[in-house]
Amino acid sequence: MNNLLKFSLGIFLSLGVAWLAFVVGARAQFGDLTPSSETLDEFGNIPSDSDLYPLPVSGLAEQGSKEYLALGCMTCHTQQVRMVEAGFDVERGWGQRPSVARDYIHQKHVLLGNTRIGPDLANVGLRQPDLEWLHKHLFEPQSVVPQSLCPPSPFLYEQVDQASGKTFTVVNDKNESRFIVPSIRAKRLVSYLKSLHQNYELPEMAFVVNEEENIEKNAELLNLPASDVNQSSLPSWLEKQIASGKEIYMKAAPGGGLCFTCHQPSGEGLAGQFPPLAGSDWVLGDKERLIKISIYGLMGEIEVNGEKYNNVMAPPGIPPGSLTNQQIADVLTYIRNDWGNSASAVTSLEVSTVRNKIKGRAPMQMWTAAELSAVDE
Amino acid sequence: MKQNSEQIIDKSLKLTVCFFVASAGLWLLAAALLAYISAAKLTDPFFLSSFEFLSYGKVKIAQANAFVYGWGGNSIFAVTLWVVARLSQAEARGKVIVLFAGFIWNLAITFGLLGILDGHMTPHEMLEMPAEIWPALFISYSIIAFFIIVTHRSRRNSNTIAPQWFLLSSLLWFPMLFLIAWNGLEINPARGTVQSVLSMWFGQSLIWLWLTPVALGAAYYIIPAILGRAIDKYYLAVFGFWCIALLAPWSVVHHLEGGPVPMWIPAIGTVMSIAMIFPIAVASTNFHSTAFLDISKVWNSLPLRFVIFGTLSYTASSYIGVIFSLPAVAKITQFSIINDFHFNQRVYGFFSMIIFGMVYHILPKITGNEIAKGAKSFHFWTSAFGVLILLLAYLIGGLTHGVLAQQPSLNWASSVISSILPYFQITELAFVVLGFSQLVFVVNVWKAIIPNPFAFFTNDDDATNSEVSA
Repeated sequence: MNNLLKFSLGIFLSLGVAWLAFVVGARAQFGDLTPSSETLDEFGNIPSDSDLYPLPVSGLAEQGSKEYLALGCMTCHTQQVRMVEAGFDVERGWGQRPSVARDYIHQKHVLLGNTRIGPDLANVGLRQPDLEWLHKHLFEPQSVVPQSLCPPSPFLYEQVDQASGKTFTVVNDKNESRFIVPSIRAKRLVSYLKSLHQNYELPEMAFVVNEEENIEKNAELLNLPASDVNQSSLPSWLEKQIASGKEIYMKAAPGGGLCFTCHQPSGEGLAGQFPPLAGSDWVLGDKERLIKISIYGLMGEIEVNGEKYNNVMAPPGIPPGSLTNQQIADVLTYIRNDWGNSASAVTSLEVSTVRNKIKGRAPMQMWTAAELSAVDE
Repeated sequence: MKQNSEQIIDKSLKLTVCFFVASAGLWLLAAALLAYISAAKLTDPFFLSSFEFLSYGKVKIAQANAFVYGWGGNSIFAVTLWVVARLSQAEARGKVIVLFAGFIWNLAITFGLLGILDGHMTPHEMLEMPAEIWPALFISYSIIAFFIIVTHRSRRNSNTIAPQWFLLSSLLWFPMLFLIAWNGLEINPARGTVQSVLSMWFGQSLIWLWLTPVALGAAYYIIPAILGRAIDKYYLAVFGFWCIALLAPWSVVHHLEGGPVPMWIPAIGTVMSIAMIFPIAVASTNFHSTAFLDISKVWNSLPLRFVIFGTLSYTASSYIGVIFSLPAVAKITQFSIINDFHFNQRVYGFFSMIIFGMVYHILPKITGNEIAKGAKSFHFWTSAFGVLILLLAYLIGGLTHGVLAQQPSLNWASSVISSILPYFQITELAFVVLGFSQLVFVVNVWKAIIPNPFAFFTNDDDATNSEVSA
């Protein structure tokens, strides 16, 4: 300790060992990851015809990441979905699977963050694909999320007196409308936020299958109806979703679904006119099909539990087609879990994924049963 | 009058130490203002929202940097210069060059903070100031460190004691940490989340290996110096020192629990965090079993009262840190405002309180001007009260935040975040109290350094004038 040289050497070595592990070791282990396909073939190679993930980031989004950094968004937002054993990020709907190191290889600056005063943004591009919503949120977060603590960024927008094709309308809590035109910086930032999604699987990390689906699977294996395996006491989040779904199902005012007028409060429909939901093979079946119907409606001939019906179902909601992702998730969860039905819940993330998939479809263009089954195959 | 050797040493340090203490005080006020703005923005998002340079994220980051590099850096220089020279019984060397380097250091931080507010921050934890200013910071730091080591080399007694180990190691660790991080992040940047590991490792190690050893070294110096008795169980200190040196750089990575990095990184961090209970126990045994032998003297000496508050806070915060590194707890607290609790506990409750005590000890000796006891006492009580309120708000708020965030069915903005809003209001209040407290500190310091700023113009000895300048 008395010899300065030896002392400095000790000081140097104590740090040097940690440096070897966290810098040299970490770089050697995962500093040179490359994009990969979603699954590997049986020899552990990337199949030659498959897409590689993560996809490269667009130039505009890359510039947007600089705006994100400069405004200090990272102070309140993380961009990482934690492992399932380390937190309930997947359950919260913040991602379909935990984030892994490979997801970040294209980012010049990795903005993981360490505090969540705002929600995690690793998949914000999937949750909020709506351009207008994102712009309104940047201009004044409180106009779309009333209780948000996120600071407004009016300096990214130009306010004009009249609405036009280029403007977005933001309404504040005093019901005053403002018309805003996004600057190039706002556009970059929105493009960056939309580019944030981890909606692909990787060889090291598959999508998380939620618990009810697991129970369903196990039940199939055991040849038992799912309801026998399900616990009688539901988890509180599911109870809440079902309650909210029931309200939408029964509501005949703006914001409601007006479902009960045809399908009846009992879920039994009307023989020959409107198909039942209770025990229906459509309701208990593929979720994607249900979500599509809930967005665009359905017309023409359809066979439910062996019976044929031929009628028109306008896009649900008052006004038609106005249900939000969360509302659709709730109401579908409700009809899958009442009148003796018992099937997995639908999340708003699933709804938004489907909505994205079919966003090219013209508004109000109802599906036909044939179209939906064709998509299935 | 014949001066004794201590007075000669103090005289050789007067200019540099006064410069660093005075600038540290100004940075403290700047940080207090920024802290208030960022706290107020969390309770009312529309507060000053039309000024882009005052965005919450920018202000918050600028505050942390002003606090650590402005207040922390300058006070580290002042304390290290003085303690090393006193323990070496040698006059300080190169004071004009050190003064010049100190000037560059402060200038670089000023530009760095303006850079952050202007939107040029980097994403690396505690390296957020723009890349351009770091060479200036590094060179000025190296010059100051070099002359402190020269002073140490010319010491009369070749044996070294605990304060010297801690102060010199902190002096050497900062440039090493910086070079490792700077190479891996800017010169030869790593890809993907290797960056995040490195940036987090630097940010957390900076607190453990730069600020912490200085405060511990200062405590090892001042407790025996004022009490006039040797450190109890001093033979443990060397064990405690090397435990920190070997374990701390490993323990900090536990913050990446569950993140997109290989599992061994947070796992090793957790194990090493638990092992940190040894050095924490050593330091708190050394300090507290010595202090409690003569507790009335501790209470009556204000510098020592500050220092013991700091060491108690160190013990508490470090043990709490160990608990929060356990995976079962980390799951809840990981991304919550508990992070602000850790930062403020360590940097304010521990480091700053000890530095306040050291400054009150050093300044009267080198300037010959006593600081009024009432003013010091006011500073102590407001600081202690403000810190306790602040930390309790962050602790309870952080636990609430973490527990609610683990309920997937609760809406984020309207349930989780609105429930911690009251705690944000308490922190806003605490920052007001702390701001006043720091203002009193800075007035005390400037009054001791320049007791009569208008004497030059008026030849008037009225001491009340001096308050205007501060």
